Amino acid sequence: MVLTHTTNHAYSHPFPTVTLAFFLRYCSPQLNPFASHVLSTDTISSHVDPATGRLHTTRIHLKKSRMPPAVMKLLPTSLTGGAADKASYILETSVVDIREGWMATESRNLNFVGVLSVVERQLYTAPVSTPTPTAARTDVETKVVFRSRLGERIRDRLGQHAAAAQQEGGGWFARLGAHGIQRSIERLASTKTVDQLGKSREGMHMILERLRHTGLLGVLEQRKRARAMEAM
Amino acid sequence: MSQSLAKQCNEVKERYDTCFLKWYSEKYLRGTGSAEDNECSTLFKEYSKCLQVALKERGIDKLVEDAREDNKDNDAAFLGRKKCELFQVAS
Repeated sequence: MVLTHTTNHAYSHPFPTVTLAFFLRYCSPQLNPFASHVLSTDTISSHVDPATGRLHTTRIHLKKSRMPPAVMKLLPTSLTGGAADKASYILETSVVDIREGWMATESRNLNFVGVLSVVERQLYTAPVSTPTPTAARTDVETKVVFRSRLGERIRDRLGQHAAAAQQEGGGWFARLGAHGIQRSIERLASTKTVDQLGKSREGMHMILERLRHTGLLGVLEQRKRARAMEAM
Repeated sequence: MSQSLAKQCNEVKERYDTCFLKWYSEKYLRGTGSAEDNECSTLFKEYSKCLQVALKERGIDKLVEDAREDNKDNDAAFLGRKKCELFQVAS
């Protein structure tokens, strides 16, 4: 069971600035109000490949659960552990090739994968026709793949302990059908994500505008001031 | 940047983030950032040392390992496909 969603978008900013905005997009809710659901961001690795000159970065974001409440309601608490309001860990990997003018990113959830796995892949490219780095256009293709393995797990369990499962939750699944449940989860998540994609794009636009007006140092200064306010 | 998931790492993370962003915009994006360019690496080591403890405590290191193992093939396929696409666009 897989559901895929693909969108294309063009930023009217040069490629290098867009990649910088990608790294800055969760820097502070004051700078990007669309990132208020991001609780933390950490870099676990970052290196330049000496052979290709590509920058490889891995980060972990902690976000307030993006699992739609409707999905959580569909699930028996024995599966979710009543985890409806828990946060999700997101693993983000990115590769930037400044010479060839592209950045490939991937974000996936680390927990709840048994219920729903969401993998978002983005490819940012500088326009080929105008190869100067100052060309104010960057294209991005976003592909999100939703996969619910819920039914598979339940079927496995049914196979192993048919009798036990019948009493515990087999009846519930028999009524709705694992197929239908997977589809519902994927559809609900997909609808929510499309909404979210719009917001993340708006957030990128806000960071890009700040960069255009004040440059990186201005953004860093603003972030510092916001942090100082928080600490008071 | 936003907070670290471990409060005790916030300060060193902030210093590393600032260093990285400056290096990225002033050097890497201008094509002068090399693999040996390690002005932020001392800060990163310090930050990483702090972060690894927190990742282990929360079992996140294990989750990351699983995700990476699970997707080695996918990643290779993805990067391969991407290069093909770029090639098609370029040609």
